[in-house]
Amino acid sequence: MNLRFFPNFLLLFFLLLVTSCSKQSVFKEGQTIFKIGDQQEWAVKDLNDQHWENRIIWVPDGQVFWSRTKIDLLKTSEALHPYGLHLQVYGEYEVFWDGVLIGKNGNPGQEAILDPEGKMWATFSIPTHLTEAGEHLLALRSSLYYFPDHLEIEELKIDYYDDLLIDRLIESSYMHLFAGAFLIASIYFLFLFLGNKKEYATLIFSICCFLFFALIFAEYSKAYLSIHYSMHVVRLRIISFLMLGISFLIPFYFSMQFPFPKQKVLLTLYTGILLYIFLSRHVFELTANNMALSMWLFSFGIVVFGVYKKMKGARLVLLTILLSVPIGFVTPFNKSLFTGFSLILLGMFYLLSLRIKEQRLAYENSLVQSTRLRLELLKKNIQPHFLLNTLTSLIDWIEEAPKKGVLFIEALAKEFDLFNQIESKTLIPITQEIALCRTHLEIMEYRNEINYSLEEEGIDFEEKIPPGVLHTLLENGITHSLPLEDNSIIFKLVFEVNKDYKCYTFLTFSVPVDQNANHTKEGTGLKYIKARLTESYLEQWELTSEPVNHGWKNTIKIYS
Amino acid sequence: MVGKIPSKYILKEMNILIVEDESRIAKRIERMTRAIFGDALQSIKHINTLQESVKFIENNELDLVLLDLNLKGSNGFDLLTTAVSESFHTIIISAYKDQAITAFEYGVLDFVPKPFNQERLEQAFHRINTKEKIASNTIKFLAVKKRHKVQLIPIEDVIYIKGAGAYTELFLKDGKKELHGKPLEKLEQLLSFSFERIHKSYLVKMSKVKEIIVESGSKYMAELKNGERIPIGRTKYKDIKAKWF
Repeated sequence: MNLRFFPNFLLLFFLLLVTSCSKQSVFKEGQTIFKIGDQQEWAVKDLNDQHWENRIIWVPDGQVFWSRTKIDLLKTSEALHPYGLHLQVYGEYEVFWDGVLIGKNGNPGQEAILDPEGKMWATFSIPTHLTEAGEHLLALRSSLYYFPDHLEIEELKIDYYDDLLIDRLIESSYMHLFAGAFLIASIYFLFLFLGNKKEYATLIFSICCFLFFALIFAEYSKAYLSIHYSMHVVRLRIISFLMLGISFLIPFYFSMQFPFPKQKVLLTLYTGILLYIFLSRHVFELTANNMALSMWLFSFGIVVFGVYKKMKGARLVLLTILLSVPIGFVTPFNKSLFTGFSLILLGMFYLLSLRIKEQRLAYENSLVQSTRLRLELLKKNIQPHFLLNTLTSLIDWIEEAPKKGVLFIEALAKEFDLFNQIESKTLIPITQEIALCRTHLEIMEYRNEINYSLEEEGIDFEEKIPPGVLHTLLENGITHSLPLEDNSIIFKLVFEVNKDYKCYTFLTFSVPVDQNANHTKEGTGLKYIKARLTESYLEQWELTSEPVNHGWKNTIKIYS
Repeated sequence: MVGKIPSKYILKEMNILIVEDESRIAKRIERMTRAIFGDALQSIKHINTLQESVKFIENNELDLVLLDLNLKGSNGFDLLTTAVSESFHTIIISAYKDQAITAFEYGVLDFVPKPFNQERLEQAFHRINTKEKIASNTIKFLAVKKRHKVQLIPIEDVIYIKGAGAYTELFLKDGKKELHGKPLEKLEQLLSFSFERIHKSYLVKMSKVKEIIVESGSKYMAELKNGERIPIGRTKYKDIKAKWF
C-alpha cells in the first residue's frame, strides 16, 4: 500500500462517518414509565400516571404490563407522508399512539399458550392526523414471558415511515458491501497462507478479516432478518464471541509484528482478562465495550513499544490506533466499534504489505545472491590469475616437454569439464568435489612443480556439499603455503559425523607464508564459502580457519 | 629478434631479480633472460615471496627486477612502490592487464602481460638501455624513499631534476627538494615524454621553461617560469632550440 494515499483514505472514511450522523431528529423522547396490570384506558393520552414506576425489575409469568412514553414531535408530518415508529423492544406487544392502536407485534399476555410471534425490530406507521407537532403519547401493552427482567425500550426512532424502512436497508447494504470487502480479503490472505504455511501473520490477518466480516453481518443483518425477542440473546452471544476472537487476535497479530519482551506471559495475562470480561455477567454492551477497550489498550501498548524500538511501520499503525479514539468519542458505540476496527485492520493490512514487500526483496536478494555465487564459481576458472598463469606454464611445458604438456592440457580439460557439471548446482556429491580438488592439484603441480597430495579420511560417499567449497579451501592452502623440505604440500580431508553435526576438517601440511601479509586476500575465498553454506544450510553451520603447527586447519560443521 | 641482445645495448653486466611465485613461470623467465643477455648476465636470482624480495632488494645491488604483482595472494603494489623508488628499473610480468596503467603510473619500465614469449621479454629488455623515447610511458608518480615508507611524488609537482651522482634531486613546485634513488639516465627514460635532458646534470619539464637566454660567454640558460635559471649544455642547445622553440 502506498503511504501517500493513506491519509486521503482516512479522510474519506471520516467524511462517510460524518454524513451518516448528520440527519436531524424530528422528535424528543420522554421518560418511559411502567405499570403491571392490564387496563385499556392506560392507552389514552391524558391519564394520571404519577404513580407509575420508572423501572420495574421483574414481571413474573408473562403477565401483561403497560409502558407509557411521552413523545414531543418537533415538526408536523407532511400530508400524505406519514411518520413511522421504529422499536427495538423485548417482548410481545401492542402499540398505542395517543390512545389509538397502531400496531401489534405478537400476542401480549398469551405467550405461554401460543407459539412465539413477532420480531425484535418492528416499524409501525402512525396515522397522519395524529402527528401534529406537540406532545403525544406512546403506550405499549406488553408481556415478557421469556425475559421477565427486560422491561425497557431499547431503541425508539420516529421519522418518515418510508425513510425509516429505506434508511435501514441502505445502511445495511453499505455495511454488507464493507463486510464483503473483508470477506474477500480474508479469503485472499487465507490462500496466501495456504501457499506459504510458515506465514502465520497472514493466517491471523485472514481470520481477523473473517471475524470482522461475520461481526458486521451479525450486527447489520437485523435490517432484514426477523428474530423473535426470545432468540435475540443468541445473536448477542454470537457478537460477543466474535468480539472476543477479534479482541484477542488483533493484539496477538501486533505482538507478532512488533515483538516485545515477556511476550508469552503478557499475552496469557491479556487472554485471562478478556475471558474474565467475556464470562462476567454484564450487559452485552458493557462486555463488548470492555473487550474493545482492553484490546485497544493492549494493542496501543504493543505498538508504542514498536515505535519506541523504531520498528518498521509502527508509527503509521500507531496513528491508526490513535485515530480510532476520537471516532470512539464522537460516534455511538456500534459505529465507533466498526470504524475503529476497520482502521486498525487497515493498519494491520499495511503492516502485512510491508512484510510481503520485505519478503519479496529478500527473495530477489537471494536470487541475485545465488546468481552471484554461480558466477563466482565460474570465475574461478577464467580469472586472469588462474587462467593466464596456467596458460603461461602450459606454453612452457609444450615448448620444453610436449608430452607432459599434453597431460597438462588433459588435466585442465578435466577441471573445466567438472566445473561445467557443477556450475548450476547448489549441492553436489562429495566425490565430485574431491575429484575437482584432485584435478586442480594436478594442474597446480604442473604450474608450481611441487608435489601436492590429498588424503581422505572417513569420507561418506553419499554426502553432499556446496560446490567449490573444498576447492576454495584447497586454493587458499596452495596460495598461502610454501612446500615442506621434501618439496611437498599435503592436504587432508577428514569427515566426522555425530548426532548433532557433520564435520569436515581440511588440513594443510606445509610451511606457511607470513600470515600478516596474507590476511586481507583470504577474505574473498572464505566469503564465498560462507555464502554457499548459508545458501544451503541457512544458519545451521560453523566455519573455522586457523593456523596450526603443521600449517593450516579449516573446519566446516553442518548442524542437523 | 630472438637471440642475444647485440652488445651495443649492454653497457654493463646485469644483476637481475625475478620475483614470481609460480616456479614453472619463474624458470621460464630465467631461461629466457639467460638466453637474451648471455654473457652480459652477471647474476640472476629467483624469489617467490614478498617479504624475502623486500629483504633482498635492500641488501643487494641490482640492475633490473622482474616482478609479478600477485604473489601468494598478497598485493604486489607495496613491493612495486618500494621497487620503483630504487636505483634499478622494474619490469612487471603479470596476468592482470588491467594493472598495467597503474604500474606505468608508478614508473615501471615495461609491463609484460602473461602469457609471454621470449620476443616480448626481449622487447622489454631493450628499453633498459635504449635512448629512444618510449611513447607509452604515462608515469604519474616518482617514488621517494623516506625513513619508514615510500612516498609518491606526483610528476606534475616536479619542475626539474638534477643529477647527483647515483642519485637525483627532484625540485618541486612548492620549492621543496626530494632525493630519488634512480640516476638521471634512468629517469630520462621514464620521463622522456615531457622532460628534456638540457644538460648532462639537468632534466627539465619543458612546459615550465619560459625562454632561453644567452648570457655572456655564449652561455645558454633556460629561464623557468618561477625565475630560476638552469644551464643548457652546449651540445644540446641546437636540438632543444629546434625541437621546442
